Amino acid sequence: MRVEYINPFVESAYNVLKEVLQCEVNRGELSLKSTSMPVLGVAAIVGLAGDVEGRVLFDMSRDTAIKVASAMLESMDMEAITELNDMGRATITELANMITGQAVTKLHNLNFKFDLTPPAIFTGDNMEVSNPDVEALIVPIELPMGKIEINVAVRERT
Amino acid sequence: MMADPTVLEKIERDVAATQARILDYKMVTFTLAGKDYGIDIMSVKEIAKFANFTYVPNTAPFVRGVYNLRGDIISIIDLRLMFNLPVPQKTADTAENGLILRTESNVVGVIVDSIDKVVSISSEAIQPPHPIFGDINIKYISGVVEHDDRLYIILDADRVFVKGAEKADPSRVPAEIVDPRANDRVFQPEQVHESYRVGDFIEQELFTLKGFTVSPVNRLWFLNRLQEWKTKYEGAQITDAEAAQEFLTTFTSRNRERLWPAAYLDSIRSSMKEPDGTLINVWAPDCGAGYEAYSIACAMKRAFVHKQIKVWASDTDLMRISSAPNLVFTQSEIAEEYDEWIVQGKNGPTCSNDFKEMILFEYSDALHSTSLPKMHAVVMRDVLSFLDEQQQNRFFSLLEEMIRPEGILILGDNEQPVDSASWVEVDDTNLTIFRKRA
Repeated sequence: MRVEYINPFVESAYNVLKEVLQCEVNRGELSLKSTSMPVLGVAAIVGLAGDVEGRVLFDMSRDTAIKVASAMLESMDMEAITELNDMGRATITELANMITGQAVTKLHNLNFKFDLTPPAIFTGDNMEVSNPDVEALIVPIELPMGKIEINVAVRERT
Repeated sequence: MMADPTVLEKIERDVAATQARILDYKMVTFTLAGKDYGIDIMSVKEIAKFANFTYVPNTAPFVRGVYNLRGDIISIIDLRLMFNLPVPQKTADTAENGLILRTESNVVGVIVDSIDKVVSISSEAIQPPHPIFGDINIKYISGVVEHDDRLYIILDADRVFVKGAEKADPSRVPAEIVDPRANDRVFQPEQVHESYRVGDFIEQELFTLKGFTVSPVNRLWFLNRLQEWKTKYEGAQITDAEAAQEFLTTFTSRNRERLWPAAYLDSIRSSMKEPDGTLINVWAPDCGAGYEAYSIACAMKRAFVHKQIKVWASDTDLMRISSAPNLVFTQSEIAEEYDEWIVQGKNGPTCSNDFKEMILFEYSDALHSTSLPKMHAVVMRDVLSFLDEQQQNRFFSLLEEMIRPEGILILGDNEQPVDSASWVEVDDTNLTIFRKRA
C-alpha cells in the first residue's frame, strides 16, 4: 500500500475512537497480510473507489461491538444495548463511516481522490475474509472494550 | 587451490567432537517416479528448466541432447531413462525440470520429475544404502536418510556421471563418504569434499547471523570468497555477526545506498531497447531508503525522454519506506546528470515534485505483489540473497511472469538468476543486468 495512505487511516482511527468513546486508545504494530484472515465476529466494511480500488474492514468480536456501541449510545444520552440489535449494528456502521470518512478527507487534502461506498455490516461465526490480489494493511487498535482490527486493502488502478 | 590438509583434519576433528548433531549436510531434493531423492548441494551448480535442447543422434538413450548454458554446451541426461523409470509424456515445448551438476570431470544437466527443496540434515543421520534398493543401481547411491517423515535416497553425482561408472573403485564403499570420521588419518581425495563442508558451516552462520542465503543466486561469489577466507584465516569459522559482516564485505554491490553514478545511467540506456507504448513500468522491491528507485527512475527518464515512467518501489520496513518519498541527498553524490530533477528543500537537496510523481512508494511485502502491471525493468540489487531459498524460487517464478519479454532484471554485482534458461546476461561493467529472452 502506498505509504502516503497509511497515516491518514491510522490517525483518523485514533482520533475518531478517542473522540467518540472518550477512553484510552492504543495502536498496535502495523503489519501486512495477503492470505485469508479470520473475522472476529462483527465486520463493518466500507468500499473505496477513485484513484484506488479496495475496501476498509473494521473487525471486532461481538462482545466488543456491543460495548463500543453502548459507549457511543450512552455518550449521546441513549440507552446501552445488551445484544447486537439493529441499533447496535447501525452504531458500528456509523463508526466505520466516520473513521473512513475522516481518512478520505485527509487524503483529499493530499490530492488523492477517493470515493466511499455506503458501509455494510456482517455478523456471524467462523467467517473469513480474503483478497488474494490485494495486500492488506492491518492496524490493530486496543480499547478498554476489546480489540478492533482495521484492515485496509487498497491498490492503485493500473 | 587445495586447502591445507592439516587444517582440514583439525576442523574435521573439531566438527566431529563438538558439533556432532549439527546440520552439516545440505542436499537438493527432487522426485523421480514419485520417490524422493537427494543430491549433495555442493555438486549442484544450478536449478534450471530445460527447453529446446538439441537432440544428438547415436548417443545412449538417456542422453536427451545438448543445451547451451550461457555459451557452454552441456549434455542433458534424463535420470528417469537412465534408471529405467517411467517418463511422463510431455509436449515438445514444455520445459523440463532439472539440475545442473558439477562433477569431478564436467558439468552436466539432468532432468528429473520435479525439484522439491533444499534440506539440511546431519551427515551422521545418513545410513548406507540397503542392498535391496530396486529402482536404482546401488552403486550410484551414497546413502539414505530420513527427514520429516520422508525417506530420501542420496545419489552420488560423481559416480553417476563419471565415465565408466561401473568401474568405480570398489574400495569406495558408500559409508566412507558420508561418515566424516572414517578417514581422519590420511588425506584422501574425499577430503576435498570435506573442505566444502567447512563452507556449509559458514553458510549456516551467514544465514543465522545475517539472513544471507547461499544459493545458486550467489554461489559463484561464495565459493571464491570461501577460498579467500580460508587462505586468510586458515579455515576459520564465522562465530559472530562481525565476522559474518566481514565475510560479506565483498558481496555488497557498489553504489547501493546512494544515487547511482552517471556511468550507471548510461548502462541502463545501452542495455534496453526502446519499448513500444508510452508507459514504462519499473519495479524496485525492497528498495529500503529509496536510492535504487530514484536512480532507476532517473536512468529511465534520461534513456527514454518521451516516455512516461512509473516506478513501483516497496519495502516491508515501515520506517524506511515512509521516509523514502522525502529522501534528502548529499550534494557530493549528485552527478550533474541528476541536476534537472533536484531542488533545494529545507533539509537539503531533494527531488522535485514532478520527478517524485514517477515513483510510487508502497509499504508492501514484495512476495505478495500479484496485482502489479507487467514490468519493463526490475531492479533488486542484493535483495534475493537475503531471502531464504524457497522465497528466492517464488521470486523467480514471479519475475518470470512479471517481466516483459526483452525486459531487464538488475541484480547485485555478485548475483545471478536461479534459472538461467530465460535470461541472457548483458555485457556491462557497472551493473549486473539480465535481459529476458523474447
